[in-house]
Amino acid sequence: MVRLITHNLLACHAKDCNTNNFPLEFKDIQLEIREAEFNSDFLKGFMPKLEWKALVDTARQLGDTSLPLEQPEMVDDGFLKSLHHVLLEIHVEEGSMTCPNCKHVYPILNGIPNMLLAEHEIG
Amino acid sequence: MPLYLLHFAQAHNDFRLPELASVAELLGISYTLPEKDEDRDPTRPYMVVELETEEHAKMLARRCILIKAAYEFYAQGPSYEVLHEANRKCEPLWRKYVEDTSFKFLVTAYSHKIPMERQRDAIETFAYMGFLGKIDMKNPEITMVCFEEYKDRTQTPRQRNEGDGDFRQIFFGRLIEEGSARPLVRHFDVKKRLFYGNTSMEAEVSLLMANQSLASSPTFRYLANPGKLVYDPFMGTGSMAYPSAHFGAMVFGSDIDGRQMRGKQQTPGVVRAASQYGLASRIMDLAVFDITRNPLRCGELFDAILTDPPYGVRAGAKRLGRKKSLPEYKKELSRQHRLAPDPEDRPYIPPTKPYELSHLVTDLVLFARYVLKPGGRLVFFLPTVTDEYEEVDVQTMLCNGMEVIANSLQDFGSWGRRLVTIKKTTAEKYYPPTFEDREMVTKDEHVPAHKDFREKYFQGFRKVEIETPQVAFREG
Ligand SMILES: C[S@@+](CC[C@H](N)C(=O)[O-])C[C@H]1O[C@@H](n2cnc3c(N)ncnc32)[C@H](O)[C@@H]1O
Ligand SMILES: [Zn+2]
Repeated sequence: MVRLITHNLLACHAKDCNTNNFPLEFKDIQLEIREAEFNSDFLKGFMPKLEWKALVDTARQLGDTSLPLEQPEMVDDGFLKSLHHVLLEIHVEEGSMTCPNCKHVYPILNGIPNMLLAEHEIG
Repeated sequence: MPLYLLHFAQAHNDFRLPELASVAELLGISYTLPEKDEDRDPTRPYMVVELETEEHAKMLARRCILIKAAYEFYAQGPSYEVLHEANRKCEPLWRKYVEDTSFKFLVTAYSHKIPMERQRDAIETFAYMGFLGKIDMKNPEITMVCFEEYKDRTQTPRQRNEGDGDFRQIFFGRLIEEGSARPLVRHFDVKKRLFYGNTSMEAEVSLLMANQSLASSPTFRYLANPGKLVYDPFMGTGSMAYPSAHFGAMVFGSDIDGRQMRGKQQTPGVVRAASQYGLASRIMDLAVFDITRNPLRCGELFDAILTDPPYGVRAGAKRLGRKKSLPEYKKELSRQHRLAPDPEDRPYIPPTKPYELSHLVTDLVLFARYVLKPGGRLVFFLPTVTDEYEEVDVQTMLCNGMEVIANSLQDFGSWGRRLVTIKKTTAEKYYPPTFEDREMVTKDEHVPAHKDFREKYFQGFRKVEIETPQVAFREG
């Protein structure tokens, strides 16, 4: 944890930070790969929710180039296997996520991101 | 449709019918309850229901936490005469076992102990069934049970074998399936968990919540992940997550206080507990944030929200911000702190202010409408002062597109808590809720009984030792 499926759902939510606040940029991270159970229904169900470009870019930054630049219309097993690996098996254990817009840093400690805001960042 | 006798645990009576309804919906089973109120009274241990097939009775017994066993129903009556008359009439149901089926025959009682001798006599009265197979107490092909139902001892205290024969009703049937979900109560026992705290929810209730959520696998191969995603926004030590994950869902959890989820070791406590059950990979992720200041990029993500909101007794509700807003110079100090955080003080924990329960609950329902998929369910606890509770309380929390489908009371005497199940019945898109402060309740607005629950609790509508709302963990 933080898995890329979760990373794909988290945007900076500081006050007045509404544009260019996603995806958060990983910095100084430690990765772990852990096997997860494969479930094609879960993956297919989740695909419409994904910000595809953010996912592909982030995966590439972390060294995984298995996903196509465009989300395919037809999904085959090979594609689902890659998606499964990227979404669920790559864990960011330490490091931080920085907002590309306001530069807020969200630290990750033992796999748990701290998404709390400071006082002046609350609307 | 054929009739089946369900033997229920005498626990959480108010949850019995909602659980049956939810599990039946999940498994695609249709059933009919007995017509008369007294025959479906959830304080009684036996209930005869109509089901399409025996397989359905088995499925229910494998999934309902409150079912102890399911039987093919043969007969019932207020006396043995009536019972036997009915049993003779249903001979076609049991005739096939007469010839050479090994069997076991039991006469037993609820809330009473039948003396051995009368047990034997009672068994004798079934002699007309003429079973020719061998009696096998260890591995019989079929087990037939006759239950005498006595009045609850708590209502009419008496000795265990006093008033023998003074039963209210007798039921008779053939065992189909022992309930196999019920042992999960022990499997998930909090005391045996590697990580728990003073906010952990007892296993039985967490399991009932999981069954209310419908976000689980309809099959019994638990490893068959049904692709459902469950969320607990007040995750704490994660009690709600483990049963859901066991039933096949992926779980996402968040909490304003990371220490509640982490405990004191490096591997987060929630992950340790999940690993103990072999469910670590079903904890999708954990994150620290205030539900009112959440970083979720979009809505319609989850199949269910299962949660125990902070109602202030054991873990006071908080939200980011201060009671009064800070003067500018203090804000500046806080800004400085952010720019150069004290390494010892990592992660920075911003100040929080109290969060009134009725506001929190209203917000929770709005939030759930935003983050649930259409058809998704919000299952949560609502504490309430029993005397003051009115049905309208739950209604005042609702918004368009969110409907209450179950509301069960767990009664602790002068207070109680309700397990509320709300379904998102709309497919409309909503903006994320604003969670604006609602400091004032206008006069003609209904004030629900759970308002200011914490205050009432501390004013002593219940005499208990109040646990301090500090972080407290037990590590195994
Ligand atoms: C009753 S406890 C939940 C306990 C949990 N079910 C367990 O198994 O331990 C409520 C939790 O809500 C958290 N909390 C309080 N206010 C919150 C807020 N505004 N946003 C998110 N979490 C909050 C508390 O830190 C506490 O862990
Ligand atoms: Zn930002």
